[in-house]
Amino acid sequence: MAKDKNTNTLVELSAQLSAAVEQIGGHVVAIHARRRIPSSGVIWRDGVIVSASHTVRRDGDVRVKLPSGDDAVAEVAGRDAATDLVVLRAPEVKAPPASRADASAARVGSFVLAVGRPGRTVTASFGIVSADIEGWRSGSGARLDRLLRLDLAVYDGFSGGPLVAASGGVIGINNSAFARGGAAALPASVVDSVVDELLTRGHIRRPFIGVGVHPVALGNALVERNNLMHDVALVVVSIAEGEAADAAGILLGDLLIAVDGRALARPSDLLDALASVPEGGSLRATVLRGGIPQEVTIEPRDRDREGAAA
Amino acid sequence: MTTIPAVPPYDIASDASRLASTLRRTVVEIRSPAGGGAGIIWGGRGFVVTNAHCVRREGSLTIEANGETHAVRSVAYARGHDLALIRAPSVSGPVLELRDLDTLRPGELVFAYGHPLGVSHALAMGALHGVVRDRRSGDPRYIAADIRLAPGNSGGPLVDAEGKLVGVNSMIVGGLGVAIPATVVQAFVTRAANLRAA
Repeated sequence: MAKDKNTNTLVELSAQLSAAVEQIGGHVVAIHARRRIPSSGVIWRDGVIVSASHTVRRDGDVRVKLPSGDDAVAEVAGRDAATDLVVLRAPEVKAPPASRADASAARVGSFVLAVGRPGRTVTASFGIVSADIEGWRSGSGARLDRLLRLDLAVYDGFSGGPLVAASGGVIGINNSAFARGGAAALPASVVDSVVDELLTRGHIRRPFIGVGVHPVALGNALVERNNLMHDVALVVVSIAEGEAADAAGILLGDLLIAVDGRALARPSDLLDALASVPEGGSLRATVLRGGIPQEVTIEPRDRDREGAAA
Repeated sequence: MTTIPAVPPYDIASDASRLASTLRRTVVEIRSPAGGGAGIIWGGRGFVVTNAHCVRREGSLTIEANGETHAVRSVAYARGHDLALIRAPSVSGPVLELRDLDTLRPGELVFAYGHPLGVSHALAMGALHGVVRDRRSGDPRYIAADIRLAPGNSGGPLVDAEGKLVGVNSMIVGGLGVAIPATVVQAFVTRAANLRAA
């Protein structure tokens, strides 16, 4: 291919990258809510700022430095431990929400920029999307629809800042608290659903029945006699007093075989089943007690505090 | 069946290697009891700029430029900056244009050229992180770059996508590459050369 001597792809790419940073800079704020360096946040909707929950150490009177250089005061509208997101309300913020990148800009191998405002000016680092993980389970047990692993450096104060496509626009929110300090970002679609729920409810609904479980192998005889799908079940090793499972009559030593017809092989299967229970709904558990299967209806309670056990 | 064309429409690789071949002719390797590093041929001929920490110590000093080794001596050190000027009459190379630092923008591409961990003539790519300015005067004090540097990059150039000099790589702080701004380097060389002339 003949190449025009005047065009230099490096110069073009460089100009595109710096333009993407400059554009997003008008929507990135510095949040002063912890010791030492401030963290970053993104103007996600009108008067609404999103950041990383672990970097915002107080709930009221959060000082925010706006792109214009002005100061504003924000209040925490809600936090979610699983996604480590915090949503702040800041009515004084007049800057428009950040625009989104095209979905195709966040594929594995795409050039991306992490942008932060750990002070007065925006700073950037450059790299690629290294993995796009579906159904990622966070340290606290919650399942996230998607998480992007990044091959780029996340510097102090970058958590809560935007991941930006080389072509411009927000892909997600960066956070170094996932994946053992490695660079990762929550895609905008995940952020959106968390923001929706935090703004309306103030917390993320995590249905909870109050049992601790452990996987156990079942004997052949037991499997054949009861015509089970799997030779694994979850044995109940602890019960929280007064919670849903207790109220439904679940006992220590009960073997949970299935819920709503879906077999349980790992504790995470139970978490997934719980997550899909609608508000005010219930789940039908198949329990083996003394070798005899029985059906128990459990009505999960909403748990608004963070925690891992189902 | 579709095939991927051998020459992609965006040929970043060949532009980067062209940049590297330009830098190769203007970056020297410095060997000294202090450990050495990289240096930049300044003004086309006769002078090499590097970090003071690459040369400061009594003892022999040699530079390797375009495959030839020259015994040289340092002539000046900057006050307050990690810079040294070496006189090297027989060394020549292309002049690096200086980048106007006021036009630097976070996120733009930068390249470091040097000899990291003893690997001669290596190119690294990264992004500009920010410019640290003097609180009072507003003059650039340091250039911070999101780029992977290692010992041996010291004294070498940080350039932009066009190959213009942004700064002299000097330190790694918290994973960030830190460079002395090109304007500071130019001011030092001018002052040092005037002193010699006087």
